[in-house]
Amino acid sequence: MSLKTPSAAPDVAAGPPGDAGRPRSTYRRLPHIPHGGLLLVLVLVAVFTAVQADAFTSSQNLLNVLRQVSVTAVIAAGLTLLMTAGGMDFSMGSNAAVTLCVAAQLLARGWSTPAVVVVSLVLATLIGLVNGLVVTYTRVAPFVATLASAMLLDGVALLVLDGMSVTIGDKMSALGNDEVAGVPYLTIVALLVLALTGVTMRFTTFGRDAFAMGGNEHVARLSGIDVNGRKLALYALAGVLAGLAGLMLLSRLGAAAPNTAGLQTQLTAVAAVVIGGTSLAGGHGTVTGTVIGVVLLGVVGNALNLLQVNSNYQLVVTGGVLLVAAIVNEFQRKSSPGH
Amino acid sequence: MTSSPTVPDTEKGTAVSPRRTAPAHPAPQALVRVRGVTKSFGGAAALKGVDLDLYPGEIHALMGMNGAGKSTFVHVLSGVHQPDSGTLTLGGHEHTGLTVRRARRLGISSVPQRRELAPGLTVAENVLLGDLPTRYGTVHWKAVREQAGRALSGLGIDIDPDRIAGTLTVAEQTMVEVAREVRRGGRVLILDEPTACLSARDADRVRDLVRTLRDEGVAVVYISHYIDEVMSLADRITVLRDGALVRSAPAAELDAAALVRGMVGRDVVSRRPARPAPRSESGLAVRSLSQGRALRDFSVDVRKGEIVAVLGPAGDGQSRLFDLLSGRQRPDSGEIRVDGRPVPPGRIDASLAGGLRCVTGDRRTLGLVQGLTVDENLMLAGDRFARRRLHRVRHLARRAAPVRDTYGVVALTGNPPVGTLSGGNQQKVLLGKWLETAPVACFLEDPTNGVDVAAMADIHTLVDDLAARGVAVLLASSSPEEVMRLADRVVVVSAGRTVAEHDIDAITRDQLVTTALGGQPQ
Repeated sequence: MSLKTPSAAPDVAAGPPGDAGRPRSTYRRLPHIPHGGLLLVLVLVAVFTAVQADAFTSSQNLLNVLRQVSVTAVIAAGLTLLMTAGGMDFSMGSNAAVTLCVAAQLLARGWSTPAVVVVSLVLATLIGLVNGLVVTYTRVAPFVATLASAMLLDGVALLVLDGMSVTIGDKMSALGNDEVAGVPYLTIVALLVLALTGVTMRFTTFGRDAFAMGGNEHVARLSGIDVNGRKLALYALAGVLAGLAGLMLLSRLGAAAPNTAGLQTQLTAVAAVVIGGTSLAGGHGTVTGTVIGVVLLGVVGNALNLLQVNSNYQLVVTGGVLLVAAIVNEFQRKSSPGH
Repeated sequence: MTSSPTVPDTEKGTAVSPRRTAPAHPAPQALVRVRGVTKSFGGAAALKGVDLDLYPGEIHALMGMNGAGKSTFVHVLSGVHQPDSGTLTLGGHEHTGLTVRRARRLGISSVPQRRELAPGLTVAENVLLGDLPTRYGTVHWKAVREQAGRALSGLGIDIDPDRIAGTLTVAEQTMVEVAREVRRGGRVLILDEPTACLSARDADRVRDLVRTLRDEGVAVVYISHYIDEVMSLADRITVLRDGALVRSAPAAELDAAALVRGMVGRDVVSRRPARPAPRSESGLAVRSLSQGRALRDFSVDVRKGEIVAVLGPAGDGQSRLFDLLSGRQRPDSGEIRVDGRPVPPGRIDASLAGGLRCVTGDRRTLGLVQGLTVDENLMLAGDRFARRRLHRVRHLARRAAPVRDTYGVVALTGNPPVGTLSGGNQQKVLLGKWLETAPVACFLEDPTNGVDVAAMADIHTLVDDLAARGVAVLLASSSPEEVMRLADRVVVVSAGRTVAEHDIDAITRDQLVTTALGGQPQ
């Protein structure tokens, strides 16, 4: 018997089971399409921009948007799984920054590209694993532990670069800039990662363990799930995906400069995941929602550029759209529990 | 009043007894009059034309099985749900479109099953929450303490207003909530299972408080599954079944059997069946298990096919036994053997691998993942033991279907999140989750906690079957009836110590109650 249990699902013992899932009359229409409200916001923003700026629908611009959101999408995919399991990692963007800087330095010193890719992914995984160890075995809140490591890693990235920009020539430019059948390689990588995450969450015991852990860690533990092992695996996975994102960013930019990626990138990914309906408390989450969230943020950023909004207003507008999307999403979620 | 044709006094549809007049009720004017309330959710009707009168200074018990419509009715009364049709008259005025806020202003308040105090604030602050006295724009702390103290002592509640709400026992939380609602001017107070999960002494304190409320002239709506309690406490009892009013009569005119028949619609008999005699080999052996002051030198030996009950006041040692046997916590000393093999202490995986299954009495925090579906909860442990890698909803449903059948889990809409089921159904899901995983020994903590009589009988049968399969069952219970019904042997504990051990054939219920209450070491 706990005091004031913050549970989303009251025991409606007397009502028929349909009771809890019933929408309030005002929002009765929305829940029938999953993420309907969010899609509506996305369509509105896209249509508005397309009408106002012809350049928006040009293939060049769309490809550009796709490349930009691909990096965020990879981070957001890992984060969706982690947050569904009740975890949190603020350091993925900074992990990506470190990976990016280390890879650039190694490439600039003449290492072969495959070796650099392997070394940086291993490094990123280790960083994720350290986060996992801290969170699992010290009981420091993930929020605090990973925020600390985010700052720490941002600093490390600056140290690695030592205040300079490091160019890598065209060593990875194929990944960053080429396309196959009109789709950028980066987007294909992102789609693969998203699809794999989606399949994992839906069709594997590993993914369902994440839902169980996020829903109620005690129950998960008592049910024979190796909760500690799962947590380590999830944080390591977040690490390796952060490393992948770092490499993707490096291949797109062709150089590592101070303050690329980092905490700001991570906040965008967190925002996208949360907009997509993944619960900060764990237990709920969908990759579809995350994809919509990522695309929405990318389109809004792009629209502001195209519409030549004064750059001072851009953050204001982005924040506003975030708020609207989150509110719409919350209305919808209140009326449709569970996944 | 005597001329009112609408008081449903006997079996539905038959004549009205004109006998119920002033003597039994000093104030014959109904405070709240509910007529023909219906409410449906989606297609399913939750309430079908329910009539009810609430009188000041009367304890009105509302009884029914899980899902009979008690909670929906209470929600309508307190403005959470708006009825589809029907009227609610309060103090001579008819109210439609009652909201929670308006209901509260009219003096209808409820203390829900899950207590809702701010755990970090003091008792005084909680009592005055939302109405803190101020002076010069800041909180006047002296007045806070005085007013809260008055509100508590006025109801005979002996709790220090300076205590932090988070440190209160469940019974004390209930009392503080009641004091808060009464202080806010509650004339109709709805108590939803206020004595569930309480020890006998705490339950007595709560019941005393309820009687005090009645004497103060409050109309109390009292929801409870405990028939004995209702019979001794209530002035008037209303029975609901499937959303319809079955019977509403003064408590004196009803007996326990009639109540059960009213609630279930048939007689429910939960009688000891003939079970195969326990085998000779030991299934679960616990040797001098100790942890802190909660459990001291506890030993018990359960043979395969035998049910041994640990009887003690609720909250005494039983939940600690759960923690120790399941491996959540490490005992200070002692040994656990399952099937003759020692189980390393303090490791959940070791306990599970040894064949020990522990079913918690706290299904909300330790039993089920409320947001996951029924099927997934049912198979949560079993699939992990089977080391399944893939999860496919259709295969899962196919595996879960027989378990649902065996355990009688009823969900109206396919496969909803388990949190939306009634308490009885959730308890069956919890049992199904564990008992279908090839257990060697089981620890069951209060398996019929918060379930209605019919579900209770079902669960008793399930436990019988479990023992008949040759599983060693250790049952922690706070109900002597349940122990007499299920156990072969009983160990009585008090304050963490074993005070007596009996074969169930060698003791009567009354002797058992005396031992359990007396708690004298022998």
